[in-house]
Amino acid sequence: MAVFADLNVPASPDRKSLQKLLEAAAHLGYSTVAINHVIDFKEKKQEIVKPVSPSELFPSLPIVQGKSKPIKIVTRLTLVVSDPSHCNVLRSTSTNIRLYDIIAVFPKTEKLFHAIDRGIYFEVLYTPAIRDSTMRRYTISNALSLMQICKGKNIILSSAAERPLELRGPYDVTNLGLLFGLSESDAKAAVSTNCRAVLLHGETRRTAFGVVYTKKPPRPDEEEGVLPVRKKAKTEA
Amino acid sequence: RGAWPCRYLLCEILCEDPRCRQCIDERAVGASVKDAIARAHGDYGLACCSVSFTVKYLNAYTGIVLLRCRKDFYRLLWSALPFVTYLENRSHRYSCCFNTIHVGGTIRACQKFLVHYNRNQLLLLLQNCSNEEERQTIQESVLSCSLKELEEEQSQSVDEDDSAEVDRTEA
Repeated sequence: MAVFADLNVPASPDRKSLQKLLEAAAHLGYSTVAINHVIDFKEKKQEIVKPVSPSELFPSLPIVQGKSKPIKIVTRLTLVVSDPSHCNVLRSTSTNIRLYDIIAVFPKTEKLFHAIDRGIYFEVLYTPAIRDSTMRRYTISNALSLMQICKGKNIILSSAAERPLELRGPYDVTNLGLLFGLSESDAKAAVSTNCRAVLLHGETRRTAFGVVYTKKPPRPDEEEGVLPVRKKAKTEA
Repeated sequence: RGAWPCRYLLCEILCEDPRCRQCIDERAVGASVKDAIARAHGDYGLACCSVSFTVKYLNAYTGIVLLRCRKDFYRLLWSALPFVTYLENRSHRYSCCFNTIHVGGTIRACQKFLVHYNRNQLLLLLQNCSNEEERQTIQESVLSCSLKELEEEQSQSVDEDDSAEVDRTEA
């Protein structure tokens, strides 16, 4: 049986609500979940703090449905960048960054978006598509454009769920992938093997770092379709 | 056997508010699913499913429902299920979501899976029980969740008349 992961569960100071999310994720069959800390450099100078060790935060982890192991938690840092200088922090030897299992970058401009090419994983969030009809249309049409470019490869699907009922099971998410233009096998990979690849790259991040690029959702007046996706990029440093 | 090959979707309805469970009946589940199909696939999707979609079984205690659909449309139905976000009862909406736990070609296949699933669920739930009464209640409600009767029903009526189902799905 395949191993599933949701690599975007927003961090929250409310430990109880996070615990409920983890229980829901375990019940739905996710073996691994990444808790995502978002830092926006545009706002007042934000510090990159050390990630709290998941084992400290959650002494007892729920068992994954269908497996006999508890759910695995990894840490993720997403940097919202609107200026190339913000990216410098990635190259710095700040020890705190290296402590995160996954690093993601959300580019606010198209220039930064095109700055990476090789080894990128694109993340498509599915909860916006479920929440409201306008976001659903943008998500689907942008995802379809994205699929044209990357041929459905190197995609991961994640939730960014804030409440347990926003999560969907891996097979249901695979089906959503079909609506986003992925083939059956690519959609399944988007919740399983591609996520694993992202995690493995994160683990070996001594000479390489994992980078994720995202774009803000398009505004109605914008002509060019901008993708509400996050990309995970692995580049050899 | 039967005019059209079918697919059976075994789903679990997850809710936060316990009152949501009271909404788990054929009418409310059918309505929410059709609404999701309309939102995801428009009139075409709704039209397809009105000739081929039925709620075959539900268990309000465990939240397990069995949906039936013609094989050629089941992906349409399945891809709409993530868009279900509520059940409605007497103008009250309760948040919920659908978790598809199995897709099978026959009720028997789904029953086999359900037995397995129930057993796992039971083990996990009993682990968290604090008293004997709780254990009993949980055990009873989980074990009563079974498609056995449906299975027997199906094997008896070999030529299932699908046209009879159409009337039931007209809300």
